[in-house]
Amino acid sequence: MSRLTLFYRLILRPLFREPLRTALTVLAVALGVAVVLAIDLAGNAAAGSFRSSIETLMGDSDLEVTATGGLPDAVVGTLATLPYAIRVRPRIQDFVTVVATGQTVPLIAIDLIGESADQQIITVASGEEALKYPGNLDGVWLGSSLNAKAGSTIRLLINDHVRDYTVRGVFDDSAEGGAIVVMDIAVAQNELGRTGRVDSVLLKVPDSPPLAEWQSRLSGALPAGAMVRPVGSRTSENQRMLAAFRWNLRVLSYVALLVGGFLIYNTISVSVVRRRPEIGIVRALGASRRSVLAAFLAEAACFGFAGAVLGCALGRVLATGALKLLSATVQALYVSSRPGAIELTPASLVIALLIGVGMSVIAALPPASEAARVSPMEAMSRGQREYATRVHQGRDMLIALGLAAGGIICAVPPAIAGKPLFGYLSAILLIAASALAIPAVADGLLHTSAHGLQKIIGVEGLLASRSLIGSLRRTSVLVGALSTAIAMMTSVGIMVGSFRQTVTTWMNDQLQADLYLRPAGNPASDQHPTIPNELADQLAKLPGVAGLDRFRAYEFSYEGLPATLGAADFHAVQPFRKSAFLSGRSASDVYSDLQGNDAVVVSEPFAHKHHLRRGDSITLPLGDRRVPFHIVDVSYDYASEAGYVVMDRATLLQYLPDPDPSNLAIYVAPGFDLETVRAEVQKTIAGHDILIFSNRNLRAEAIRIFDRTFVITYALEAISIVVAVMGIAGALLALVVDRRREFGLLRFLGAATSQIRKLILVEAGLIGLLANLVGFVLGLALSFILIYVINKQSFGWTIQFHWPAAILVSSLAGVFLATILAGLYPARIAIRLNPIEVVHEE
Amino acid sequence: MNSATGRVPLTPVGQNHPVASLDRVSKEYRSAGQPVRAVDGVSLEIFPGSFVALVGRSGCGKSTLLNLAGAMDFPTSGEVRLDGVATSSLDDAGLTRLRREKVGFIFQSFQLLPTLSVIENVELPLLLAGAPGAREAAKLRLDWVELESYAARLPHQLSGGQMQRVAIARALVHEPKLLLADEPTGNLDTVTGNLILALLRRIATEQNTAILMATHSSEAAALSDVVVHMRDGRIEQILQH
Ligand SMILES: Nc1ncnc2c1ncn2[C@@H]1O[C@H](COP(=O)(O)OP(=O)(O)OP(=O)(O)O)[C@@H](O)[C@H]1O
Ligand SMILES: [Mg+2]
Repeated sequence: MSRLTLFYRLILRPLFREPLRTALTVLAVALGVAVVLAIDLAGNAAAGSFRSSIETLMGDSDLEVTATGGLPDAVVGTLATLPYAIRVRPRIQDFVTVVATGQTVPLIAIDLIGESADQQIITVASGEEALKYPGNLDGVWLGSSLNAKAGSTIRLLINDHVRDYTVRGVFDDSAEGGAIVVMDIAVAQNELGRTGRVDSVLLKVPDSPPLAEWQSRLSGALPAGAMVRPVGSRTSENQRMLAAFRWNLRVLSYVALLVGGFLIYNTISVSVVRRRPEIGIVRALGASRRSVLAAFLAEAACFGFAGAVLGCALGRVLATGALKLLSATVQALYVSSRPGAIELTPASLVIALLIGVGMSVIAALPPASEAARVSPMEAMSRGQREYATRVHQGRDMLIALGLAAGGIICAVPPAIAGKPLFGYLSAILLIAASALAIPAVADGLLHTSAHGLQKIIGVEGLLASRSLIGSLRRTSVLVGALSTAIAMMTSVGIMVGSFRQTVTTWMNDQLQADLYLRPAGNPASDQHPTIPNELADQLAKLPGVAGLDRFRAYEFSYEGLPATLGAADFHAVQPFRKSAFLSGRSASDVYSDLQGNDAVVVSEPFAHKHHLRRGDSITLPLGDRRVPFHIVDVSYDYASEAGYVVMDRATLLQYLPDPDPSNLAIYVAPGFDLETVRAEVQKTIAGHDILIFSNRNLRAEAIRIFDRTFVITYALEAISIVVAVMGIAGALLALVVDRRREFGLLRFLGAATSQIRKLILVEAGLIGLLANLVGFVLGLALSFILIYVINKQSFGWTIQFHWPAAILVSSLAGVFLATILAGLYPARIAIRLNPIEVVHEE
Repeated sequence: MNSATGRVPLTPVGQNHPVASLDRVSKEYRSAGQPVRAVDGVSLEIFPGSFVALVGRSGCGKSTLLNLAGAMDFPTSGEVRLDGVATSSLDDAGLTRLRREKVGFIFQSFQLLPTLSVIENVELPLLLAGAPGAREAAKLRLDWVELESYAARLPHQLSGGQMQRVAIARALVHEPKLLLADEPTGNLDTVTGNLILALLRRIATEQNTAILMATHSSEAAALSDVVVHMRDGRIEQILQH
């Protein structure tokens, strides 16, 4: 018999007879593939977007000079007068908010006079006249996607002030990945309050000597604090910073695929068991073991291929949603970005197909090789109709214990190259251990509970638990699929819940001021617009203001990774404040160490990334100098993954003399009414666009951002659960077909249709219950791995374990309910069977 | 036989009401668009304690008739009464209730549930009906078919004859008035089959249970009180012993 005929008879034809179940299996694979693809595409788009927003206007420059807090104008002069044929272009990069739309847009300031003389200005104005030397430097040039007309005015929020700017010109920004506002550099210095400084200088150097040589040559000619780096370093820094985040998200996205794998395993097992007689016949007719194996693997490959094709389309759709969620997270936690375009490349399609087909074939290997081992005699003998495949409970349980032990051991070693590889291995081993332990657990629990179930639920309880034991393999695989999804939901739920609680506690301890002020505009962790210091002075003198903390932040780069440099004055430190430091020392102790010294506190993620500890010393680039600092302590901090380095305000002012703070914290004096003081503050800041947050507002805002960050993980969890429940529905359909004779018989024995329905729903419910139990235990174990290994090694955050009880209970109950609902349609099919017809089928 | 009415009193007419009565019952199937009369105008009354054998060629409608008599199916025309209740007056739930109380089934292929133990199989009809004392009643029945020591076994650990005895115990556990048997000896050797038939005979006599049995075996027919010959869905001849 030709392989093709064999494949058609044995595999394809039966699939078309059960279109719904076939469709459910394909859809399960499709969702798994779609999630992986969507996360990948969205991740690329979210990370790729730095390139468009920040490297815009880089032109064909080779090197970039930057310094923390900006470069003095003089550096531009120094560079321009060096005896080399280099082209020098100063830049200021910041963000403005378009008042009309609330949209935050990059502001890029260039030397319009210098660069138009240079004839290089075209880099911005693809073909437009707009950026030619305009004669009038005031005003702004806008990207076309902002939909403004030249000659009109646009209202922009810059730092704490809103002003109308004349639109001098509009240029095509379609190649830039989004809207940009361009300004003359001198105007921008004025508007941003950064007189005498630029953010960076772009250099174009001759081809020889090599870039590295130019880098060191120019570094030598510049102040110590200035960094000379190849253009694009910032982008790769940002991408490196995002790597851990993306990596973890990607791992999470594979869970749905794993659940899909369980379902393929089950589908192929059902095929094999049902077709044992046919296998025997074709084997007797001379088909080889290998062709039987090949036939069933081909079945899996068909599911995989169909699923992957569908998954690619679905993934592209999901990617749009995922990108929205991702870019919000990236914006809140990492760096201002605009989502780039989602690019569905042939490579990503091919990878998606390979993943879909590969996963399916691997999942099908055990049942397919079992089919190949069927001897011609065995399969043709009677009594093989039951789904009674051998399950080696005891042996599997032993292996499970071994794997679990391995999983625990793997939780110990440190990260490899910043990636918690052993942590992942540990999670995989634990998942495998639970999958192998399920038959023994299910068998034990069902056996001991059968009579109890009969008492509580009635005879359906007994029948259901007996038939689940009777087809232990199928039961185990379904429980395995659903419990994996539940474990993921539980573990991530516990991790996020613990994280949330930790952050809340930390904020309660650390946010002690009554009012917080920052310039209006959308918050982003890498944007630090400022408030005039004179205004802060005025506020400090208001009646009822007991203390005022000024916080100033700069973005800087430390050993190839971006971070935030901050300075605070700690006049109003509360003595009762809990320690925020790893050492456990009191805040006032630590602050007195900071005062008057070149000393800093670094945040936990920063210390983690750069392997720093209390007592170490780090050299920070500050303005034009490089200054060694002593680390007096490491602080718990959950505000930014990039990390903070914080020093006393007076210390920072010595190196970066700009006194304008980015944030203010006001402490209301005892005996004064908060609302009265707030009204006073409001009056004082009139004319400035500054937001006031009460302590409660600020925390709520922070928690809102936190919650938004994890929406995508919830979405991933939900999809895994959907895949698992779909699989259960499909498996129950198969079960109804396989057990139709039993259902017919029960009708003969006096069962009402409602009892048949109840039986199937109870079976579904028991699968749900078992999966909840196993999933919860596994999830708890995985949550420890997530909190103490994977998260710690990826991000460096210390998270206190916490039970998000309400969420856990409700989501477990929800999954349980969904499983029962998954039984409704199969139950309907079972009820519609004609008992007379099915009972005599052999 | 009163061929004018087709009504056949199968047992001494007297104070007894029939357990099952079929009045000009027909059942029509559609197969491949063509109507097939599986049962065609059959009238029959079965009284308590009578052992009725249905014989006839394969396809003559025996099983169909059994299912009609057992309230598993509605006739296309005519009326089936079980213990005086017309099946056509009932909905599906009503039929189920009627079946639970009045009817027991045994089959050629025994039809035990493989995942339930022997005793659990036997008590199943009572459990499904939600009747109390299921375990005790099941034990008594098992005792009666002399299989009490097999109570904890699973069906696949029994011989064919033992399985059929378990099935009989199961069919009788709720003390039905009518026992329907579709070729109960068809899968058994002659000796074992005869044991089963003797058991059925005893049931009819000792328990006053009416038995309607479809069979191909002449031994089986010989043991019964009445033999109903069927052909093409109709009653061809009725022989009383
Ligand atoms: N569901 C059905 N659909 C269509 N035709 C049917 C159906 N069930 C039975 N028949 C037809 O009705 C007729 C009677 O069938 P039935 O099963 O009652 O015969 P039987 O006497 O029990 O045969 P056997 O001795 O082989 O068991 C047959 O011609 C059969 O093909
Ligand atoms: Mg028949």
